[in-house]
Amino acid sequence: MAKVWINDQEIELGDDERLNGIQVARRAGVDVPHYCWHPGLSVVASCRMCLVETGSKNAETGEVSMMPKLVPACQTPAKDGTVFVTDSDKVKHARAFVEEALLIDHPIDCPICDKAGECYLQDYHFEHGQKERRADIKPFTSRRRPMGETVTLFVDRCVMCTRCVRFTREITGTNELMTVQRGAHEEIDVFPGFPLENKLSGNVVDLCPVGALGDQDFLYSQRVWFMKTHNSVCTGCSTGCSIRVDENQDEVYRVRPRENPHINKWWMCDDGRYGWRYIHDDARLIGPEIQNKQDANADSGANGDGPLPGPMEWSTVIAKADEDVRAAGRLAVVLSPYLTVEEAFLLCTYAREVDSQVLIALGPVPQLGEDETFPSGFTIHAEKAPNRRGVEEVAASFGKALSFEELLPKVAAKEVSAVWVTAGYPQANWIDESAASQLAKADVLVVQDIFDSPLWQAATHRLPSATFAEKEGSYVNFANRLQSVPWAIRPPAGARSEGGVLWRLLGRTGLYQAKQVLAEVTREIPYFRAAADGVSEFGIDLTIGMLAEA
Amino acid sequence: MKPDDPDILWVDEPKLGLAGKLYLPLIAQGLTTTTKHLFGKKVTVSYPDSEPEIANPLIYRGVHRLNRDEQGRVKCVACFLCATACPAHCIDIIGTESPWEDREKYPESFTIDELRCIYCGMCEEACPVDAIELTSLYNLTGRSREEMVFDKEKLLSVFDQTKDAEPMKSQTVANSLADTTPPKGGAS
Amino acid sequence: MWEALIKIGLLIFVIMTAVAYFVLLERKVAAWVQDRKGPNRVGLPLTKIRLFGMGQPLADGVKMVLKEEYIPGHVDKALYVLAPISILASALATFAVIPFGSIWPTADGYIDFVVAPGFDAGLIYVFALSGIAVYGVILGGWASNNKYSFLGGLRSSAQLIAYEIPLSLGILGIVLTAGSLRLDTVIAQQAETGMWNAFVQPLGFVVFLVAATAEAARLPFDLPEAEQELIGGFHTEYSGMKLVMYASAEFLHMITAAFLIVILFLGGWHFWGITGSGTEITWVTALLRVLVLFAKICLVVFGFMMVRWTLPRFRFDQLMALAWKVMLPLGMVNLVLVAAMVEYFNNAVAEKPLMVFLVMTGLMLVSIVVTAVLAPLGSRNERSPVGDLPT
Repeated sequence: MAKVWINDQEIELGDDERLNGIQVARRAGVDVPHYCWHPGLSVVASCRMCLVETGSKNAETGEVSMMPKLVPACQTPAKDGTVFVTDSDKVKHARAFVEEALLIDHPIDCPICDKAGECYLQDYHFEHGQKERRADIKPFTSRRRPMGETVTLFVDRCVMCTRCVRFTREITGTNELMTVQRGAHEEIDVFPGFPLENKLSGNVVDLCPVGALGDQDFLYSQRVWFMKTHNSVCTGCSTGCSIRVDENQDEVYRVRPRENPHINKWWMCDDGRYGWRYIHDDARLIGPEIQNKQDANADSGANGDGPLPGPMEWSTVIAKADEDVRAAGRLAVVLSPYLTVEEAFLLCTYAREVDSQVLIALGPVPQLGEDETFPSGFTIHAEKAPNRRGVEEVAASFGKALSFEELLPKVAAKEVSAVWVTAGYPQANWIDESAASQLAKADVLVVQDIFDSPLWQAATHRLPSATFAEKEGSYVNFANRLQSVPWAIRPPAGARSEGGVLWRLLGRTGLYQAKQVLAEVTREIPYFRAAADGVSEFGIDLTIGMLAEA
Repeated sequence: MKPDDPDILWVDEPKLGLAGKLYLPLIAQGLTTTTKHLFGKKVTVSYPDSEPEIANPLIYRGVHRLNRDEQGRVKCVACFLCATACPAHCIDIIGTESPWEDREKYPESFTIDELRCIYCGMCEEACPVDAIELTSLYNLTGRSREEMVFDKEKLLSVFDQTKDAEPMKSQTVANSLADTTPPKGGAS
Repeated sequence: MWEALIKIGLLIFVIMTAVAYFVLLERKVAAWVQDRKGPNRVGLPLTKIRLFGMGQPLADGVKMVLKEEYIPGHVDKALYVLAPISILASALATFAVIPFGSIWPTADGYIDFVVAPGFDAGLIYVFALSGIAVYGVILGGWASNNKYSFLGGLRSSAQLIAYEIPLSLGILGIVLTAGSLRLDTVIAQQAETGMWNAFVQPLGFVVFLVAATAEAARLPFDLPEAEQELIGGFHTEYSGMKLVMYASAEFLHMITAAFLIVILFLGGWHFWGITGSGTEITWVTALLRVLVLFAKICLVVFGFMMVRWTLPRFRFDQLMALAWKVMLPLGMVNLVLVAAMVEYFNNAVAEKPLMVFLVMTGLMLVSIVVTAVLAPLGSRNERSPVGDLPT
């Protein structure tokens, strides 16, 4: 048990903990300002912002002997008896001078800098800097050059922390970024003809403590202080990276990784980072519809009541869908891997209530290429769906689940007369004509989807549903880690999340409560039992539940 | 809030003299005041028969304008600080990369809902480049709500319309300072 | 019969027109006192002639008449409709006994300038009807089913009942000197001696003036309405013609108060040297008497308006303290003084008017000072004992 002192505060460290001064201070609730140090990267101690006084305390005599000079906290390991002083005048002066030196060359173009509001240079200047700027005011603009398709560099805003350079060396192993020149002329750059292009390139924007690296996708689209941040989970692949969704008035502007030591560390891939734009696609389905099969076949008005008019009330459509599904006979449901655990559970519960012999099938799981692993261990999975594991386990608890391919011939052979399909695939071509026409054989075909597809056209009851940013619920990633997240924005008017619709179908009152459903899931299904005591922001490992089940 | 709340400051009523107790002298005093005002000079004018006099256009808060720089381009850099400062949320900006070499960002669209605006002048205070200013134009009329939402062109045309009568305030203030104080050497 | 109907028609026309123009005058006076110009745009319809905004009352009237007759869903409909009617009717009916001039000489005698001539209980009739006005306010406040309206109604009833007493005490002095309840007798008696009652019993005049202001619910006694506190008080829920009824009834109350003040204390139609005093008069004198009366009334109304912009509203406890602790004793003192004068110096008014005036004014000042010292108007703002309060 090692004892460390931070400004007279005693901190005890675990035996196998290897922490530096910044980390220990943070544990004591003391913030040591730093630019170049990042927990995911190697230590270079080049920014000098984290300078502190250090020394050691003799355990027997209690005598403290301090080092004569300041040392960077990021490079100073905390050992038994180490003393850090972070608030002495000496340290404060050092910080103020470092801050001033960084600002000498800095164009004060905060008004047009995307980082303003979440910029460490700004924050530290207010907190630790000198109150007055002694340098001449520089031109209002910064030189700028693109680093690649995704990232642009504002050269003069850079404080040369080299986090981005180390990132491409250590995390991606692609080595695109480097420093050129020396001293005051030092700059970040790429080799001509070798731009920054790798699947993790967007992360350098998050890493950059100042506004030097700008995201081409997000550039100038919104000031950060207008946005509200919501925790979420990336649904791009089965890795299930923890993310933050930044939104202003129901419009998503960017997606950033959220630190999660168990899944994605501090990173996320560009596919996820830039792959959310479909949620604001103009082609999103809006407004529930009912298409009467007989009428559609025999032109309008053949049997008297004609096709029902276009946009309808949600309550009417839900009631009608419920009525028709109950009247139809044998029921089959298709669980999309884009459903949350709660929604899958609600759908199975509802289907079982309607028809105890219900056939439960799993929706197709899109596969794209191969798993892609980076030197740091970060993996982009080929399985492009967020919740295959969770949906499988829910389905399994309701009896043997069919695959999508097994279900199709049964529907075509009229073994089932009603099919409830949940989709929510961002890829519009998730189902082909032949599969759709087989499913269309059913008398009642309820489809919940976000984009038009052959199946949507064939459906009798069309219920537009919501994307990941619009619904609350839990996802289980490839490694059986369950994460529960809230909704970030409201669905477009006319669309409703699957959970909301099923909640209504089960006759529950009030708003859809994913937490309440998850509690039921953990009671009913042993696999999910580990989540019974709540889910932290890092998620919870369900393998314990699997062991218990075995 | 209870009566013994420490935040309550109990104030005793002022002690009345004899005149105060009699009350009648005070009535006479008050009537004298009101009578004086009855015949006093009126501060309102019969608009539109006569126009009000704007004493100091520098501090008058009328219709907004977007200033132009020396090359006639919009001065605004789309930093959103006016929109951030605006208590009425009447400023709507869409910023994008500027088409010019020497500028990084500019407003693709800049609209002010003049009906929603409360003419507090906070946008003017917030602007880091003196691009948005309130003029002394007060007779703002329109036939529809849409017409009262001023876009960038309209706001720039307000500048063209008023720039001769009211030069940019940053310059006016700088000039008036230069008149009274010796120029400062070096940067400040 | 026809004579009475013509008089009623004439009276209602003149009075209602006067009300409309008093509204304009009120707005004008308000503007002037506040250094504004006031309404000055509306002139003759369809022309550009503005006439200093003299068309404003017409425009206001047209606007109010054309407004929707809206009855809120939560009100007691019968009482809600009845309340403004009762208050306006009682306010108008008061004028039946109020002389709006002296007499008009004809070939065979003369015509009285009063709808109900020779009504012996004139003063009592006036008070009875002004008592009914309270019903209009309370009913309106109650029927509106709105807490602000109800509070306004409650305040109004308490206030009007409290000030009825000093009002009556003020009048008792007049009744003692005039020996009659007829208003024309009161005027005739003042005209005969040339000593207006305000000079003979100044204390009574002050008491009556204050009480009449309170009865008319004018500032500083407009607690029943108190826009800043009660959003209009008892007429919060009223709009359109029903609001007009309330508003005109209020102005009628003010005009009634002005009439009473002028008739009882300021000599009515009498003015020294130009109106004479008897019943043997030419039509010129008759006309002069009407003009004098109306000039006095306009002056008193103007005074009310000036007071409105001079004095802030009383707090309710101050209002009650003024009624019970100041006005009531002063009224009693006045009654005693007048009674003593009538008993022991019955001819003094006619013989030594100046003496009477000086003595009575002196006595008034003394009694006011004594009352002010004994019962100061500023009430004590004491801290409530904390322990007694519910927590």
